[in-house]
Amino acid sequence: MGEFGSSGSLDRWVCPNDRQLALRAKLGTGWSVHTNRLASFQRGENLSLEEQEQIMRVINRAEYIDHVEQERIGRLVEKLDNMKKNAIGNGSTQCILCGDEFGLLGASPTYCDDCKKAVCSKCGVDTFSSARQPLWLCKICAETREVWKRSGAWFFKGLPKYTLPEKKLEGGKHSTRMKPQLRGSVRGRPGSIRDSNYTWHRARGSSSTGTASYGESSEQESSDSSEDEISISRHKSRKNHESESDNISIGSARSSHYDHYTRTERKASVTSTSYGGGHVSATESSRGDDLHDETDSERSSTYQFSRDGSHMSQEHFTPAVGEEHAEDIDRAVNRYVKSTKPANDECDEAQVSSPESDGTSLGSLEFSLLYDSANNALHCTIARAKNLKAMDSNGLSDPYVKLHLLPGANKSTKLRTKTIHKTLNPEWNESLTYYGITEDDVLKKTLRLSVLDEDAFGFDFIGETRVPLKRLKPHQTKHFNVHLEKQLPLEKDDDLIAIRGKILLSLKYATAKQSLLVRIIRCAELAAMDSNGYSDPYVKVYLKPDKDKKSKFKTTVKKRTLNPEYNEEFTYDIKHNELAKKTLEITVWDKDIGKANDFIGVTRSH
Amino acid sequence: MASASDSKWQKDAADQNFDYMFKLLIIGNSSVGKTSFLFRYADDSFTSAFVSTVGIDFKVKTVFRQDKRVKLQIWDTAGQERYRTITTAYYRGAMGFILMYDVTNEESFNAVQDWCTQIKTYSWDNAQVVLVGNKCDLEDERVVSAERGKQLADQLGLEFFETSAKENINVKAVFERLVDIICDKMSESLDSDPTLVSNTTKATRLTENPNMQSNSCAC
Repeated sequence: MGEFGSSGSLDRWVCPNDRQLALRAKLGTGWSVHTNRLASFQRGENLSLEEQEQIMRVINRAEYIDHVEQERIGRLVEKLDNMKKNAIGNGSTQCILCGDEFGLLGASPTYCDDCKKAVCSKCGVDTFSSARQPLWLCKICAETREVWKRSGAWFFKGLPKYTLPEKKLEGGKHSTRMKPQLRGSVRGRPGSIRDSNYTWHRARGSSSTGTASYGESSEQESSDSSEDEISISRHKSRKNHESESDNISIGSARSSHYDHYTRTERKASVTSTSYGGGHVSATESSRGDDLHDETDSERSSTYQFSRDGSHMSQEHFTPAVGEEHAEDIDRAVNRYVKSTKPANDECDEAQVSSPESDGTSLGSLEFSLLYDSANNALHCTIARAKNLKAMDSNGLSDPYVKLHLLPGANKSTKLRTKTIHKTLNPEWNESLTYYGITEDDVLKKTLRLSVLDEDAFGFDFIGETRVPLKRLKPHQTKHFNVHLEKQLPLEKDDDLIAIRGKILLSLKYATAKQSLLVRIIRCAELAAMDSNGYSDPYVKVYLKPDKDKKSKFKTTVKKRTLNPEYNEEFTYDIKHNELAKKTLEITVWDKDIGKANDFIGVTRSH
Repeated sequence: MASASDSKWQKDAADQNFDYMFKLLIIGNSSVGKTSFLFRYADDSFTSAFVSTVGIDFKVKTVFRQDKRVKLQIWDTAGQERYRTITTAYYRGAMGFILMYDVTNEESFNAVQDWCTQIKTYSWDNAQVVLVGNKCDLEDERVVSAERGKQLADQLGLEFFETSAKENINVKAVFERLVDIICDKMSESLDSDPTLVSNTTKATRLTENPNMQSNSCAC
């Protein structure tokens, strides 16, 4: 029964087989049994054609799922193997992964609980076993465990069947050309450069989607914007510690009981803006000092609003990192940025001209950019894409292009083309324009063009390319034909960085009046939350903990500005000794009519 | 209708937005309500009409459990003996089993032991099993008390639920519990034998290629 080949019609004249004969012997009926009756009995056990068809349909469906699953596992396995290939240390005197020598740069080895190799704190993952025991794993072993879980290998005691992705994505050749300089000159690590964007940087325990800020920035074309990102990533690494150290503020010795830290707001799906680096705060605070003479118990400081990416994007290799290490890297990367800057332009050309060098299998994108400095407009004409990677099961994609100004976070920097359905060679010929792009923006910002595949629900990421706007000459159309690069899925990238503006405020404790005076002076370079490229910001102040929200104060709303001036002062009556228990929460909001006000940023001090 | 449902399941099948994939199997005597149970869970639908399942069928559903997205491929098997060769072939891939009997049908309850033997014979030894007494809405026709079910489950070392696909009682709970058990088993198995993990995967040799990891774990 159940054999698919036999359709149930046994030849009734065939001599019975041994089994049948044996059965007959048991029945004791001798030869008198009718063979054809036996056959018809068997036929009942067999499956009808319709049944077989139905089952085959189910099996085909299952095969499809298995196929998709095998590809998924193949990708997991491949990624893990890339990590292993890129591990360059020896695991005893060097970190198994990054090859950092122990004892020289202050890195101290820990030993992976799985492979027992020495790992530096950057390349290890602090996690828990099922018995809630702390577990220290090198990133390879952490990823291995993850692959075992994700693939089901844990269950089958070995990796199930998998298919490796077929196309050889030469993902990194272009960027690797720059990497030797990084490794060689800065980190002193020659060799083993290929493809490092897909290596252990990203290999964070549970999600494997985090980007290392290090890897990220080295992929970039080291423009101004990448510098921005680097400096920001340092903030981030500190924030992840949630240390209450003076992160951005300039603390004066006199008021040392005020401790400042920025709080990262964990919200996914919000894009981010970043403005410059930490250096701004110094200038800002000195300005503040000028404004306020009564400095006895007063201090002025700059805060940078930050809204972090999703929980995941925090996994940028930093949580376990000591601050010195993070700074080491930043320095190194900054040096790298400087050292490679002159080479940039050639690289760009190379990217355009050498089709094989980059992401062949993702496809290429043709577009042109024109910056009209008279009207502060950036015209982006998206012409077409060729040989895009197929994302849908029908072997085609439904591509569209999304534009995004980096660093830049909000709705106002996103533009997109129409979707061309079911093609790998879409022709958009669409012009999209950014208005209000200043010369300053051109120097700082990078245009990111992502090609996405539209699905009924959401989208798939096909590839992206980035153009630092400073490469554009005003009033001169520049044509590009670039090969798309593999990148992180969009949302993560968007959420990467999050400096959302700065606020200048002063705090004063008036001993005579027993009150805390909070003066909101101004904000600068706030994130634009409205589609006109501006916000309508106001500042809200709470003194927490505060049960009835009585401590709320609001400034007036300043319309259509990213640099509002308030000069408004609020007073809290509070005893000096209670002050230590209180936290001042300052939030900046964008006033919207008819809908919830947008949250721009938060900072806290206590 | 066929094409619509086709595209729907293709969508489900192609959905790569998950962390783990578990294959589950529902087994038990004919007409205990396996298919209804699955339809209730996957589509939130119910019909009292009895249509015997031909051989096997499956549905895909992604659930969010313990901060992870788990894609479930749930196999619905025919209870009839004549399909046994086909159904048992799918035991081997299943990480979890829902062993179902009908509380209004003594015979289906008596067969539980046999089904357990089937699982032991054909499945991986670390497969997880949950015992489910279905049709608990039919109190008037009940012949197997909840106590007896519980007792048998304890004896077999299984977790036990009484459910009703019709009234949507405990359906979700069964799947969620099963997923939880498998998740626990998963972390246990990795901790108990990490050497196994590192040794085996070391053997894999791969070519260079970036990973098109879609939004995994956007939790």
